[in-house]
Amino acid sequence: MELSLDRLTKQYGKKIAVDHVSAVLRPGVYGLLGANGAGKTTLMRMLCGILEPTSGEVFLNGTPILEMGADYRNLLGYLPQDFGYYPNYTGREFLAYLFVLKGIPKKKANRKITELLEMTGLSGEAKKKIKTYSGGMRQRLGIAQALLNDPKILILDEPTAGLDPKERVRFRNLITDYASDRIIFLSTHIVSDIEAAADRVFLMKQGRILCQGSVQELTEMASGKVWEMKVPARDAARWEKKMNVAGIRHEEGDVVLRIISERKPTADSMRCRASLEDLYLSYFPSGKGGVENDETF
Amino acid sequence: MMRLFREEHRKLWKRASVKISVLFCFTYIIVFGGLLSYQWIQFGTSGDFTSSFGNRFDGYKSIRSRMDHASQWEGELTDAKIQKMVKDYQDLRVSDPDRARDETDWRVLNSWIQTLWPELEEPEKADIMLSYVEPDKLTGFYERREQQIEKFLDLMGTSDDEKAFFLRMDGKVEIPFQYSWVEGWSNLLGNVLTDMGVVTGLFIGIALAPIFAGERQREMRFLILTAKYGGIETAAAKTAAGFAFSAELFGMMTAGTLLLQYVYLGTSGWDLPIQCIKLIATAPWNMIQAEIYEYLFAFLGCLGYAGVVMLISVLCRSSFAAILSALAVICVPGAVGEYLPAALQKIVDLIPLAGSSTDIFRTNAYHIFGRIIWSPWILITVPFVAGAACVPLCVRKWRKQSR
Repeated sequence: MELSLDRLTKQYGKKIAVDHVSAVLRPGVYGLLGANGAGKTTLMRMLCGILEPTSGEVFLNGTPILEMGADYRNLLGYLPQDFGYYPNYTGREFLAYLFVLKGIPKKKANRKITELLEMTGLSGEAKKKIKTYSGGMRQRLGIAQALLNDPKILILDEPTAGLDPKERVRFRNLITDYASDRIIFLSTHIVSDIEAAADRVFLMKQGRILCQGSVQELTEMASGKVWEMKVPARDAARWEKKMNVAGIRHEEGDVVLRIISERKPTADSMRCRASLEDLYLSYFPSGKGGVENDETF
Repeated sequence: MMRLFREEHRKLWKRASVKISVLFCFTYIIVFGGLLSYQWIQFGTSGDFTSSFGNRFDGYKSIRSRMDHASQWEGELTDAKIQKMVKDYQDLRVSDPDRARDETDWRVLNSWIQTLWPELEEPEKADIMLSYVEPDKLTGFYERREQQIEKFLDLMGTSDDEKAFFLRMDGKVEIPFQYSWVEGWSNLLGNVLTDMGVVTGLFIGIALAPIFAGERQREMRFLILTAKYGGIETAAAKTAAGFAFSAELFGMMTAGTLLLQYVYLGTSGWDLPIQCIKLIATAPWNMIQAEIYEYLFAFLGCLGYAGVVMLISVLCRSSFAAILSALAVICVPGAVGEYLPAALQKIVDLIPLAGSSTDIFRTNAYHIFGRIIWSPWILITVPFVAGAACVPLCVRKWRKQSR
């Protein structure tokens, strides 16, 4: 199975939301990293076939997905960023409704719904109305619905938004178990989720894929550009304005700043091991001092 | 597909706004427009000044008295019988004014006199004509009726072709007319059933307006459109559920209205000509035919309106905007209709539920491909066809708008 994106572009008036994105996806977990407004959701909607590209196409095994219609949707599981629901439905009723929409035989429904509710930790809440659910519970229900038809292509837009740390770990494990012969494409701006779950990562900015590779390949791109330096607490704010600070931790009355920079910031700065988050922050700097990096390392 | 329809239908009925709409619709049509109307507002005897309209809560008994009183005049309507009926009213009015008002068919009788003997009207008298006309002068009932029809058609500027058309139609009306108590049928065909269609439509509009717009507002659209049966099939199931709901709501209201009609009015008088209600009507129909037409008019109008509302729903981004637009389809033609030129009015009447089922009492016609067609036939078919034509547009728009 191969899902190919061929120069996929979406333009709204003069604004280009997705700009000539090409990629080939084979079974595995793919992470799409980018800040808000980077074009992740637009790209995912085009992958789902619900948004027609301005130019370019998506192919599944060489066939345009828009031509495949229901055959493509039959292979698809999708969790939109703003996951909608019917407040007066119980979790079980909601899944049963989507079961019918997905055209799955009725006899499979009960067993599958029970299994998914257990998998997402919602068994105890299955008979409660969705309007009583917390944000995290609703998000888990969203994940459950995306898995209803055992999709071969699973597209998850911000799946971990609203999940607490324990739920996020459970989600990552679920994805890892699920990925064997499927294409899983998930977007987030929570770097640690991608770091833990994705085989391959795309970094997206202003509609373009800036770089892609495995987590290791990408972190290597940042290696040699991540520094730690100890400064007095009163100077921390000044450094934040001046440099791209990836992290701050307190140590014996001083603060240790994690800085992303091509050059050694100070003579006593120590080079340290890069992470995916460092790469991300080099493209999407956190403070005013961060210089945006449009070029790949 | 059937499962999908059932799910959409269930989803529709599960919405709180739908349940409230059904409850309000039932309260308005069955409780107020039916039960309280028969028992109190319309047919209660007068004299209870504790209620704002001065009626007692004794409609059932009062209707029986009216029927009993009218039974003495049952059968063929002749000049002599009309004179006796007028005399009876005038005598009763002197001896027992309450009985005259509460037992006789005075509204119907007075409308006949006003229509056929207008020259007997004495404008300086504030009372109804029935109270002062000399019964002996009320002669030539059927001849005068024919003259009045011709006069009316001339007054309305009806073309020669149309005039001939309606006179031919009138030629099929059976003469002499049969008579029994008319006011019950007059209220049913002139008020209850005409209101029923519009009010049911109003609540259908509130219930169905969010059917597509609500999915967009709730952000359910993307989940639905990425499911196997997410596009055309869902739209088809939704529209089918919308029509089914409209039919069910209408069915409930019809069942209630018929039951109340049976309890309060019974079945007598079903074969009276509709001319007993409006003398210059030219349709050779009896009451039961008119009733069937009015139910059919309201039913097909509701279905047509449901189709229009669902199209509005698919075009709107929010449920609120969809509800407002849906209600405007019912309210705006009614509000502006009278200010429009007659030709434009006739076009506006083709909007579902904008026309009136009481056109069966009128002499309106449409000219289609050179043929004259009596307006009730057009008013019953075009709104339904318009609503049905909205369905493929709904389906296409729902599928397309996501792109």
